[in-house]
Amino acid sequence: MKNKSYILLLFFLSTQIILFGQSKEIKGKVISAEDQSDIIGATIEVKDDPNSLGTITEYDGTYSITVPSKESILVFSYLGMKTQEVKVGDQNEIVIVMDLETSLMEEIVIVGYGTEKRSKISGAVSVINADEISETPILRTEQALQGRTSGVQVTQNSGSPGSALTVRIRGNGTINGGDPLYIVDGIQVSGLDFLSPSDIASINILKDAASSAIYGSRGANGVVLITTKTGKKNQEGKISYDGYFGVQSPWKKMHLLNAREYAIIQNEAYIAAGKAPPKEFLNPNAFGEGTRWQDEIFETAPIMNHQISLRGGSKKSTYAISGNYFKQDGIVGGAKSNFERVTARLNTTHDLKEWLTLGNTLGVTHFTRNALPENSEFNTPLLRALNMDPVTPVRKFDGTYAYSPYSDTDITNPVNQIEQTFDTWKSNRLLGSIYTDIKFTDEISLKTVYSLDVTFATQDIFLPRFDLSYDPVLSDAPAQEKRLENSVIYNNYNWSNWQLENLLSYKKNFNDKHNVSIILGNTVLENNYHFTGAANSNLPSNDPDDAFISNTIDPIETQTASEEATSSSLLSYFGRVNYELDGKYLFSGTLRADGSSKFGANNRFGYFPSLSAGWIISNESFFEVDLISLLKFRASWGKNGNDNIGNYRFSTVVRPGQNYTYGPDETITSGSVATVAANPDLKWETITQTNIGFDVELWSGKLNFTTDYYVKNTDDVLYAAPIPFTSGTDAPIQNIASVRNSGLEFSVLYREKEKRVNYSIGGNISFVSSKVTGLGEGGEPVFAGSIQSANSFVTRTDIGDPVASFYGYVTDGIFQTQAEVEAHAFQNENTAAGDIRFKDLNGDGVINEEDREVIGNPTPDFTYGINFNLDYKGFDLGLFFQGVHGNDLYNGTVRYDFNYVNRPISVLDRWTGAGTSNDEPRVNISDPNQNARISDRFVENGSYLRLKNFQIGYNIPKKLLSKFRLDKCRIYISSQNLLTFTNYSGLDPEIGSIGNLDDPDSNTNYLEVGIDRGFYPQSRTVLGGLQITF
Amino acid sequence: MNQIKYIFILFFVIIFSQSCGDKFLDKSPIVGETEENFYRNEEDALSAVNAAYAALQFERNPAGHFRWFWGDIMSDESIKGGSGDNDVFELTLLETFQTPTNGELLESEWKASYEGIYRANVVLENVPPIEMNENLKNRILAEARFIRCYFFYNLTTMFGGVPLADRVLEPNEYNLERSTEEEMWQFIEGDLLEAISHLPLKSEYISGDIGRITKGAAEALLLKSYIWQKKWTQAKTTAESIVNSGEYALEASYAGIFTNDGENGSGSVFEIQYMTESGGTWDAINEGTLTNVFQRARGAFDGFGFNVPTQELVDVFFKENSQMEDPRLKSTVFRVGDVMGDRGIFTKEATGFDYDYYPKKYFNSKNEEATFGDPAPNGGSNDRVIRYADILLLHAEACYHTGNESLAKMSLNMVRERARGTNTNILPDITANGSSLLEAIYTERQLELALEGHRFFDLVRTDRALDVLGSMGYTDGKHNLFPIPVSQIQATNQAITQNPGY
Repeated sequence: MKNKSYILLLFFLSTQIILFGQSKEIKGKVISAEDQSDIIGATIEVKDDPNSLGTITEYDGTYSITVPSKESILVFSYLGMKTQEVKVGDQNEIVIVMDLETSLMEEIVIVGYGTEKRSKISGAVSVINADEISETPILRTEQALQGRTSGVQVTQNSGSPGSALTVRIRGNGTINGGDPLYIVDGIQVSGLDFLSPSDIASINILKDAASSAIYGSRGANGVVLITTKTGKKNQEGKISYDGYFGVQSPWKKMHLLNAREYAIIQNEAYIAAGKAPPKEFLNPNAFGEGTRWQDEIFETAPIMNHQISLRGGSKKSTYAISGNYFKQDGIVGGAKSNFERVTARLNTTHDLKEWLTLGNTLGVTHFTRNALPENSEFNTPLLRALNMDPVTPVRKFDGTYAYSPYSDTDITNPVNQIEQTFDTWKSNRLLGSIYTDIKFTDEISLKTVYSLDVTFATQDIFLPRFDLSYDPVLSDAPAQEKRLENSVIYNNYNWSNWQLENLLSYKKNFNDKHNVSIILGNTVLENNYHFTGAANSNLPSNDPDDAFISNTIDPIETQTASEEATSSSLLSYFGRVNYELDGKYLFSGTLRADGSSKFGANNRFGYFPSLSAGWIISNESFFEVDLISLLKFRASWGKNGNDNIGNYRFSTVVRPGQNYTYGPDETITSGSVATVAANPDLKWETITQTNIGFDVELWSGKLNFTTDYYVKNTDDVLYAAPIPFTSGTDAPIQNIASVRNSGLEFSVLYREKEKRVNYSIGGNISFVSSKVTGLGEGGEPVFAGSIQSANSFVTRTDIGDPVASFYGYVTDGIFQTQAEVEAHAFQNENTAAGDIRFKDLNGDGVINEEDREVIGNPTPDFTYGINFNLDYKGFDLGLFFQGVHGNDLYNGTVRYDFNYVNRPISVLDRWTGAGTSNDEPRVNISDPNQNARISDRFVENGSYLRLKNFQIGYNIPKKLLSKFRLDKCRIYISSQNLLTFTNYSGLDPEIGSIGNLDDPDSNTNYLEVGIDRGFYPQSRTVLGGLQITF
Repeated sequence: MNQIKYIFILFFVIIFSQSCGDKFLDKSPIVGETEENFYRNEEDALSAVNAAYAALQFERNPAGHFRWFWGDIMSDESIKGGSGDNDVFELTLLETFQTPTNGELLESEWKASYEGIYRANVVLENVPPIEMNENLKNRILAEARFIRCYFFYNLTTMFGGVPLADRVLEPNEYNLERSTEEEMWQFIEGDLLEAISHLPLKSEYISGDIGRITKGAAEALLLKSYIWQKKWTQAKTTAESIVNSGEYALEASYAGIFTNDGENGSGSVFEIQYMTESGGTWDAINEGTLTNVFQRARGAFDGFGFNVPTQELVDVFFKENSQMEDPRLKSTVFRVGDVMGDRGIFTKEATGFDYDYYPKKYFNSKNEEATFGDPAPNGGSNDRVIRYADILLLHAEACYHTGNESLAKMSLNMVRERARGTNTNILPDITANGSSLLEAIYTERQLELALEGHRFFDLVRTDRALDVLGSMGYTDGKHNLFPIPVSQIQATNQAITQNPGY
């Protein structure tokens, strides 16, 4: 019936044209109110006329368009400007002065499975637009989230190129992986490293449960929706180039002892332990500065980015094509820790039929990452540089690398280590989707999307032969300073995920009073993983270029291979109803049912409801405050889940590889047993979140203020809580713990636009308090974060405390005299004056395990960001500060378990006799008092304020540009991490969680936050860039 | 056009409503099996018992727990060594009897033992229903019984009575309470007797099965259990059963026992098998042992320098004849100037430490190291847990206590005779009687079995620990047992109680 009506309409229109001949041509110009400049590429369409082709303005801002009648209404629109509608009437020439869109509330925001005007949202959603990040170089997409919006905490897992970031939305609600769900163009993805930040059109963060409940089982830790750029219809193709080049350097080095000071301290430490110091230390003055190992491993490293984009569209199609090249070398190890990424994207849409739209997104990424070991106490160049004695030179007289005569295990020559490391990741990822959008009626449409996310990755490790011996015959170097046999490891990873999604939407407005929209959808997805690895050793050649598995003398003898494969699937149904009454009252309800293969048949499906409501008070007739252009109250409640555990955890998996060897030939004979107990009752972790918030706009949108308060309870937290060892198996994953997060978020933005000066200042601040509220029946506290120098764990997660609190002894100054030692509770056999006095917390006269308590919280009290932008006569200035406050860091950079390591210069103020020091203990190589035990001595204030970005740019004036047919040309210089204000003594205060976040089977990583084991610091970067559009 | 739209609607409805759900969500492991579909045939049964054997190899689960930690370092025969007091600090505390109750080494010993017991229990529960050769099935079950008794024996001698997990525990049974020491021994005796009745003799195994549990090994463990309980009569009978089986003979040369060629030799009753070429890493120590690297000197010798022999131990080898050392000394310790295999000459400078001695029995030369992979976790030396000389000396002890002194001397002198070799100037036959004879048996045990993980337990069971170790802090009624790891007391909600004195 519908198409009949179209035909009728067409007939009617054509007859009008023929019979009355009232069609006319309108000419005119579109200019900007801001600076009276011509607006190029503004869209002009005839309202409600499917026949009109529409047009866009030319290079001088002019246009011409044919309209069917005097009654026609022209719609003028341009990105970032207020859309205007003008009735043609008798005019033949229409000049339009466009104002900037001032109200943030009129923005269209992408929400789960749809879009919504910001003013009509009743949940808690944060938006970051492309223009907020396009002016500044963003190295990695997650960085765009840092400090720019409230409720999101982003910390770098490492400063090494290509490393991931920890993103926490509204605190750490779980002990089982708190990463948010990332959705790029509707596709669930793991990690964002494949994406070029320049391709991003917008990032939307769904913070409260009502907004994210539509993502059900995976939305528990918030959802980050990323949309990539698309072309616009009826727009001439635009070509833009965006590139920068810069250098990175360490912004800080630690102050450590020089060789002379080291010898003095070592002498004293030996003598205090009743042992004879090494002879050569007896005359410390014979040593000078010695080796500054930090200088030897840090370097200035280049960084560059080039992006070319083509975007545009015809009446029925749009396209966006881009290519990007990014390369970053590391400030430790240069090319040995670098990251290189090449991406290509193609997004298109086509109106194939009047009722059918087709489209696709496609991203192809290739990246190469060379990695050095990092953030570990055992084998990283950085930790070694901090701990290596300054007496040992980098090289011997013959030019080969030297080894330390004092160190024989973990602390080895870091420069040699960097040289001996060959560890390359290569990854090819293809992420694409095709979709169809069918319009049944104006109200009802169906969108079907099929997407594929395939990654082929390889890891190539070569461990060359080397020997730092002084005497090649005796091979006198310690074991870690030589590798007499080389080997090669080649791992092949394949992830292939697919997803099919159907979405039926209904949207209708009744009597201009009731706005109803309903969606109904389902998703099926499957994740597959396949790993094969092979290794070989004793290669005849020691050249990394010849390091192949097959390149060996006796391949059968030394080749090994392994294989792993997993698969998981998810099946979901969901629906949402939005109802808006009178433009004042907003209601929304969602329900999602998720079935996951990760859970046993008993608990396969989970149900996640949510409700939210909003009241736009400023739209009420009684509300007559001119100052306030918008006042909205929001409230929401909802549930969602987390299924972030390994596969098959509900069943008892018999693990092969539990082998034994028999017979004189030592034949390896295979054995298999289930090593982990099963939990057939495994189910979702559930988060229940309640949110209330206000949005206020003053002075017609110049000042925008948003605040939210929430309470987020996580229950049934999936955790492999320790079970008694009598079970004989590793602990199964159980739904046991519960965590409560509550917080307050504010964000404010003030924008002033005057003729010549535009400026904006914005800020946001988020307070989170988190507390573990349960650990299951008889649940024991969970310890994590091993510190080798104290041979124990530093974090404890227990009821009543924040997740992963630091836990240890409490210092109480230094014993000044032996009498003080005697008077105090018993600490250790040989505790003496000069040792640390620990508090006897339970007063039992003995200092032991029972005298530990929470000594620090790695979670900040609040995080904040401040943004300032100024435009003046084509110049732009941007300052972006980001900070955290009230968190603690554990400084574990010194390996006190070795008595030969170098130390920070604070040891020069050590206790040497009564009254000399009350905080730096005596030195003693045996450390009989265990002064290095986990205590508040190593807990430091981790607060910092950082000038994350500082940039000055210049836009070449449009008049000049138009001569070269350019739309835009901007040059800029910018600096990241130019200033850092902190009292933290280590290399960098911005420390996230460590390690292998993509291993879902390892729980402890999430319980290790803010521990500095020689953290790869962030660099200070200075760069210059160019942006051109034509 | 309408029709096409309706087809799309139909398509949507089909997708939306189809109940592919449960099937689509059924995922079982791709690599590996679940318990429900394992244990189907002979191969699976063997695979199951092999996994129980694999538990015997555990030495670092998760922290180190070697037999020589407890038997040697805790005794007067050796000190910890390493790079200093803070290197495995818990051992420093243990050997000075400042025993921590929350140490990870003891915790690891506890954990590894129960993993072994669990694996044996898995065999005993899952193998019986399998349709397979009954003899093989009975043998596999008997092997599993031995393995669980071996762990119970270790636990009982270290901790006293412990939770007697004689089955795969259900989650609601994890808080099993401790049994008494008597109940432990009763169970171990019964289980071993059952195993003995099905296990083959050492000579009955084909060559490719060497290393599997034999009837002799089970009898030897039963003998040690009787000895621990001072059940001398049963001990004597059991020892004689082993001797009379004719399966074992002392190796011709003492020095040959601890070489590669000496593995599983004629005097080997029970050895834990290790090998070099399994490609193990520190994170996955496959079939190798860490004992080799741990016990080698540091510095140029690429070891960690643990288990450093004491002067007191060396002196024992001169006790009988201050002019002429017992020849076994040179197979037991390295002295300054000795050649450490192909790794060079032992000088203090080369080790970087001031120690006079290093242990030799588990020393491996560079040419015996793994030819691929990290040599540290791929040591190849089998752990000689029970040797025939041990059986003979235990027999001598049992005979002495049951009044058969001449029989005791016969067994004792067999051991001395082998040690003496062709040198008739040393180690004459013992002719003493009474307490001197007992003293001679004890001394012989130390000379013969030094640094093999026996000494501390021998001292405790013969009530000599206070005399010998008292000066190091040992107190009776406390240090004869190790403390139950505190974490396990907490994890079981205090269902497990602590040993006295801790």
